[in-house]
Amino acid sequence: MRFFYSWIDFWIKRLLLTFTMGSRASTLLREEEIEEIKKETGFSHSQITRLYSRFTSLDKGENGTLSREDFQRIPELAINPLGDRIINAFFPEGEDQVNFRGFMRTLAHFRPIEDNEKSKNAAVSEPLNSRTNKLLFAFQLYDLDRDDKISRDELLQVLEKVDVEQKMSIRFLH
Amino acid sequence: MQCDSSVASLQVISPSFVQQHACEERFTQPGREEFTGAGLLLLIVLVLLQGSVLPLGATSSPDTTHNVDNRQVKEEKYNYTKKAFPVLTLDYHHIQAPFEISLWILLASLMKLGEYHVNVTHALVPPDTSSVRHCARELPVDHRGSSRGGAHQTSWRRSPPVLDSRLFFLCLLPPIILDAGYFLPIRPFMENLGTILMFAVVGTLWNAFFIGGLLYAVCQIQPANPSILHKIELLPCLLFGSIISAVDPVAVLAVFEEIHINELLHILVFGESLLNDAVTVVLYHLFEEYSGAGTVTVLDCFLGIISFLVVAIGGVLVGVIYGLLAAFTSRFTSHVRVIEPLFVFVYAYMAYLSAEVFHLSGIMALIACGATMRPYVEANISHKSHTTVKYFLKMWSSVSETLIFIFLGVATVDGPHHWNWTFVTVTVLLCGWLTYVINKFRIVKLTTKDQFIIAYGGLRGAIAFSLGFLLDKKLFPMRDMFLTAIITVVFFTVFVQGMTIQPLVELLAVKKKQEAKRTINEEIHTQFLDHLLTGIEDICGHYGHHHWKDKLNRFNKKYVKKCLIAGERSKEPQLIAFYHKMEFKQAIEMPKKPPPAKPAEKAEKAPSQLPKGREEEIRKILRSNLQRTRLRLRSYNRHTLVADPFEDGFGDLLIKKQKMIELEKKIKDMNNYLTVPAAPPDSPTMCRARLSSDPQSYRAKPESDSVPTIQVDLASPQSPDSVNVMDEFRRAGQQRGGGRGEEDQGLMMRPHKTGEGADGKDPQKLTRCLSDPGPSADEEEDQPFLP
Repeated sequence: MRFFYSWIDFWIKRLLLTFTMGSRASTLLREEEIEEIKKETGFSHSQITRLYSRFTSLDKGENGTLSREDFQRIPELAINPLGDRIINAFFPEGEDQVNFRGFMRTLAHFRPIEDNEKSKNAAVSEPLNSRTNKLLFAFQLYDLDRDDKISRDELLQVLEKVDVEQKMSIRFLH
Repeated sequence: MQCDSSVASLQVISPSFVQQHACEERFTQPGREEFTGAGLLLLIVLVLLQGSVLPLGATSSPDTTHNVDNRQVKEEKYNYTKKAFPVLTLDYHHIQAPFEISLWILLASLMKLGEYHVNVTHALVPPDTSSVRHCARELPVDHRGSSRGGAHQTSWRRSPPVLDSRLFFLCLLPPIILDAGYFLPIRPFMENLGTILMFAVVGTLWNAFFIGGLLYAVCQIQPANPSILHKIELLPCLLFGSIISAVDPVAVLAVFEEIHINELLHILVFGESLLNDAVTVVLYHLFEEYSGAGTVTVLDCFLGIISFLVVAIGGVLVGVIYGLLAAFTSRFTSHVRVIEPLFVFVYAYMAYLSAEVFHLSGIMALIACGATMRPYVEANISHKSHTTVKYFLKMWSSVSETLIFIFLGVATVDGPHHWNWTFVTVTVLLCGWLTYVINKFRIVKLTTKDQFIIAYGGLRGAIAFSLGFLLDKKLFPMRDMFLTAIITVVFFTVFVQGMTIQPLVELLAVKKKQEAKRTINEEIHTQFLDHLLTGIEDICGHYGHHHWKDKLNRFNKKYVKKCLIAGERSKEPQLIAFYHKMEFKQAIEMPKKPPPAKPAEKAEKAPSQLPKGREEEIRKILRSNLQRTRLRLRSYNRHTLVADPFEDGFGDLLIKKQKMIELEKKIKDMNNYLTVPAAPPDSPTMCRARLSSDPQSYRAKPESDSVPTIQVDLASPQSPDSVNVMDEFRRAGQQRGGGRGEEDQGLMMRPHKTGEGADGKDPQKLTRCLSDPGPSADEEEDQPFLP
C-alpha cells in the first residue's frame, strides 16, 4: 500500500504547496542550497522541497531551526517507545537546535541503498545512506551515553522498550 | 442372473480374479521394485473394481430397486412374487456416490504413499512436484479406467464425481484456500501488498485483455481455417482471456512449496494468485452477461469497475466479520474444548458461502477470515485444538489438491474435446509477463531473475478449468474448444513450468528460503527498527507503511484484544504465567527422595574432574551447609540466589512442599464449594491470589512461632510485573498476620522460601503442624455438606 499512499499524499501535498505555502517555502530555500543538499544526501529535488515544507511546518518558532520541543509536539512520536532516542539522534553532541541541513543529514541515512551509486562516488567518502553509515546510526541509537560501546544496561533498556516478553511467548509457547 | 456372478467375483478378491483381468491390463513397467509393483497392482485392482462395479451399478439397478422394493413388503403386496429371503444383496446404487469419492481419495493417497517409497528407494528419480506426478501417474490409470468404462459411457458420465463444478467450488476449493489463508505469513504479505495488488489487479486485467484481444486478432487473420475460427467474436475471446489469465493458487501452492524459493518471491506469486480472484470473478461475470448482448458500452465498463471494488472489498469485509465472530466465540470455549476446531472451520466456510451468495469474492473472504481470526483464536484455544486445526487443514487441503488434479486428468481423457492448433498454441505462448513496469515503483527492487521467476511461476490451474466448464453451451458454441485450450494451458503450465522451475531456480541461483526460524535476537532488533522507522515516518509527516502498521497494532492491543481474547490471558504476560505453571507442575511432580540423596544429586552436577576424596569432602560440606543455609536465607541477596532451588535439592523442603500441596488441594476443593468461585484453570496466579486471601488457610495454621520466619527476596529472572505480583502477595500475607507470613507463602508454594526447619527434627514437627489443620478443617467443613 505504501506507494499508493505516498502517491496520493505527495500529490495532495504538492497541490497544497503550490497554492498555499508554496511561495513561502521556495523563497526561503535557495536553489544552490538545494543543490548542495542533493549532493550531500542524495535526495531528489522534489523530495528536498517536500521535506523543507515539513520542516517549516514543524518549526513553530519560525527561526529556521528545530528544537526538541518541536519534535515532541508530534503526537505519534510521543507514544513511540523510542521517541526520545530518535529525537536525540537529530541533535549533534551538545546542541539544542538543528537546522535544515542537519535535519536532512539525519534523514539521509534512511534512503534506500543504491549499489550503482558507489561506483560513481568512488572518490567521495561513503554516502550517508551506505550500509556502514546506517549501522553506525542504529548503533548510536542503542548507545545512549555515546561512549562507542553498548553496555549491558543499555541493552536491557532497549529490551524494555521492545516487547520482548510477547515475542518470547510466541516463540516458546506456540 | 448377472448379479450373482458379479457378486461372487466381487466378494472374494482372489488371485484368480486378478489373473483373469490382469492379463488384459497388466501394468508392465520394467525395473520396478517389488513393493511398488505390488502397490501398483493394488491400484489396478481397485480401478478394475470400480470399472467393473460401475456397469454393475448401471445394469443391476433394476435388481437393487427390486431389492429395495422387497423391503417395502406391505405396500406392494399384489405385485410381489415371493422369493427366498435375500441373505446377501448388492445395493451399489445406494452408496454409489460416496463410495466412488472415497475410492478416489483412497487411490490418491495410496499413490502418494507409493510415490514416497519410490523416491526413497530409487534415489535416481528426480525430485518432482507431487501433483504433477499424480497427473502423470493417474493418466495411464485413467486410460484403463475409462477404457473399461468406455463401453458404458452413459454410466460413467452419470456418476457425479467427474468434475462437477459445484463440487469443485463448494467442496474442493475452500479447504485449500483456508489452509493458505490461515497460515498466511502476514508480515511479508502486508509489506508487499502494493506489489501484490498491482500484479493481481492490473496484471490480470492486462493479461485478460491482451490475450483476449490477440486471440481474436489471430482468429480473424487465420486464412487456412476460415470456417471455425472466424465465428468467434470478440467478447467470447475476452471471456476466454479473463478465464485463462488468472494465476491459480492451487497450482502455485502445489509447485512452489517444493522448490523452497525465498520468501519474497513466494509471497509475491502466491499473494497474486489469491488476490486475483476478485478480478477474475468480475471479468467473468461481466463478459458472460454481455456476451449475450454482444456489445459493451462505457457505462458497462464503469459499472464493472465499481463492481470490482464492491466484490473485492465486500469479500474482505465478509471475511473479517466472520473472523471476528470466530475469535469472539473462541473466547468462551474454555470449558468445551472439543468443539473448538469446529468453530474455526465452520465460520470460515460460512464466510466463503456468504460471500458467494452475493457473488462477492469467496476466496478473498476465506483468506480475510483465516488471517483475521488466527491471532485471537490461537491465544484462546488449547494446544491440542491448535494441533487439530493445523493437521485437519493440512489434510483436507492435501486431499482436495490431489482430487482436483485427478479430476483434471479424468476430464482430459474423457471430456469433450475440440482441438484447434492455432488457438491453443497462441494461448500457451501468451501467458505471463508484465513485471517490468511494476519494478519502477518498488523500493526494494526485483532483479531480472526475480521477475522471470514470477512470470514463470504464474501457473494456471483448476479454477480456470472449472470456470470454463461452467460456461453455457448455448451461449458459447466454442465451449469445447475453450475447454481444450484451457486444459492444454493448464497442463503446459503445471507440467512443463512446474517440472522445470526447480532446475531453473537452481540454474539462476535464485535466493532460497532461509530454513531456520529467526532468533529472538533478530526479532528484538527487528522490532526496534520497526519503531525507529515509524518514528522517522512520523517526523517526515509521511503516512507510510510503518505508520499504519503501528496504528493498527496499537488499536489491536488497546481495544480488540480485550474483546476477543479470553479474560486474563489478554492482560497477564503469558510467559510469566507459563513459568508459574511450570513451577507448579514441577513442584507437584518432584518425587519423594530421602534427604541425603538430594545433596548428592547436587554434588553430581558439580564438575566431575575433581578427585574422589575432594568430592566426598565437598559433599559433606554441602550437606551440612545446606541445612544451615535455610536459616540464613534472609541474608542472601537476589544475585546469589539465582539458581532454581527446586532443582538444587532441599529434599525435606520438597517433602514439606508435597504435603503443603496436598493440603492446599484439599482446602481448594472445599473452598470451591463454599464461597470462592472456581478459578479459571489456566491461570495459576489467580489460584494463588484466591488462596492467599482465603481466611480458611489462616485458621488452618497453628502455632509456628518456633519456626524462624524467612524473608527471601525473589531472585528469579522475571519481568518486573511478576515480581510485583509476588511481592504484593507476600505483603498481603504479612498484613494479615506477622508470624503467619511464611504460611501464606507456604500455601503459595514458592520454592525458595519456607525453609522452615533447620534440621531433621523440625521437618517432622512442621509436617505435623501442617497436617494437623487438615482434620480440623475437615471437621469444620463436614457439617455444611456431605461429600
